[in-house]
Amino acid sequence: MTHWAILSGIEGNLAAYEAVLQDMRRQRHPVSDLYVLGDVIGLHGDNDAVIQRLQSPRSSEWVPQVCIGWWEEQCFSLHGLNSSPDAPELMAQFGGDGVKRLWESVSRESVRWLRSLHFGFHELDCLLIHGSTVSYADELTPDTPAIQLCDRLVRADANHLFCGRSGQTFECWVTPTRLRSTVTTLDGVQDPQDQGKTPRRVVGIGSVGRIPGQATYTLYNPESDRLNFRTVNYGKAKGFGATIA
Amino acid sequence: MKLAVISCIHGNYEALNAVLSDIDAQKADQIYCLGDLVGYGPYPNAVVEMIRSLDIPTCQGCWDEDIVEGLNACECSYPSQLAETRGRLAHEWTNSVIHPEVREYLATLPMTLKLDNLCFVHGSPSSQHEYLLPSMDGFAALERVLSADADVLFCGHTHVPYVRDLEDAALSVNVQQPDQTESPKQFQVALRQIVNVGSVGEPRHGRPNATYVLYDTDTAQVTLREVPYDYAKTCLAILEQGLPPIFAWRLARGMEFAERADDPTHVCER
Repeated sequence: MTHWAILSGIEGNLAAYEAVLQDMRRQRHPVSDLYVLGDVIGLHGDNDAVIQRLQSPRSSEWVPQVCIGWWEEQCFSLHGLNSSPDAPELMAQFGGDGVKRLWESVSRESVRWLRSLHFGFHELDCLLIHGSTVSYADELTPDTPAIQLCDRLVRADANHLFCGRSGQTFECWVTPTRLRSTVTTLDGVQDPQDQGKTPRRVVGIGSVGRIPGQATYTLYNPESDRLNFRTVNYGKAKGFGATIA
Repeated sequence: MKLAVISCIHGNYEALNAVLSDIDAQKADQIYCLGDLVGYGPYPNAVVEMIRSLDIPTCQGCWDEDIVEGLNACECSYPSQLAETRGRLAHEWTNSVIHPEVREYLATLPMTLKLDNLCFVHGSPSSQHEYLLPSMDGFAALERVLSADADVLFCGHTHVPYVRDLEDAALSVNVQQPDQTESPKQFQVALRQIVNVGSVGEPRHGRPNATYVLYDTDTAQVTLREVPYDYAKTCLAILEQGLPPIFAWRLARGMEFAERADDPTHVCER
């Protein structure tokens, strides 16, 4: 049986990632696949240590499928590896100190590895991605307008869009019930078309490392379509708790 | 009020003159232009000077942007190496002949213009490079109109005119979050429209005539206009200026095969 663990936002927090791996090992239904939807690096942890951990899983551990997130794009920008030099987004949000810290905390070798990662994964009828197909920075939340969520699902060409940009855990079913579209060209009016569709959903998968002491991630069974949002307390908070949706 | 909306003139002064005459004959009160004043055609400066002299509110198109910021679109702009070579030739030629004050004017153009419940863009509210094709998913198309906070979205870029009515849309959303009760919501939208105004100077609807749109703000009536002009003059000028002959070939036929993008829904990220 297939069970996916889907997570994002480690942000250099190795202790949080280890706590999540431990929680995954404790699952009654064994996890078969591990997806990491970007933001492996951040400002407050040991970025190179996390990258090495992802690159070299221990024997009998999952080989993570990792894609690019917002923080990785900032790193590429600093290194002149994308179309937007000098990381203007990073500068605007975290200032010169943030730029300096990110630059110093990711080695050249790590940057090269990060650059080799995918933008996202299409698997079965799911798209797993950091933001959306619009952008790595696209932040989908429960408060995102319904038509925008619908648009992202249409663009994703998938029934289930798993994303990590917001850091929140949520499940949002979108049903585009009906829409009548009529096109008129210079040659006349075409027959109207009903563009209604079956329900599909956006899933916010949580954040492993953003909140110290509390990691969230998502377990998904593609066969039953069931989600299980996990909350893992670690460090001083200790103990493990889970919230099941 | 009767509006005339034009787009994609592409340095074709003959076509612009013919369309302006037709607009005059139709007694339009105001003209809006959706950009791409330059590129492909042989008279970029004359076209810009005409638009400026008439004080026509104008959005910036993707070709105008390239002249301001340099040609730095990703390779997605071109479906083949041949097309890329021709596109670069056209850009470089235009870039070499454009007057400094014309370049400065193009740099001042906004991405969008608004008039009450109407929004004017070149490609889409998201990007000058996005093609809003009539075959685009209806909900995605509706999102573009709503994101512009408009009832009617005027666009160009595809060079093929159409009107698309998006009616009676219904959408339901059910959010579930840990430790929170479900929150189902319903959304309904009565009618929104996308009006693609075609192309004055490089039509691709299968005939060589220039196209544009008339819109009556009182009745919300849209009229697609097709205007014959002496395209042979422009074709000759294209050849005389040393621009790629295929530009003259396709202008004379009003069609486009070789340059059509493989994935028109792709939005170029610079």
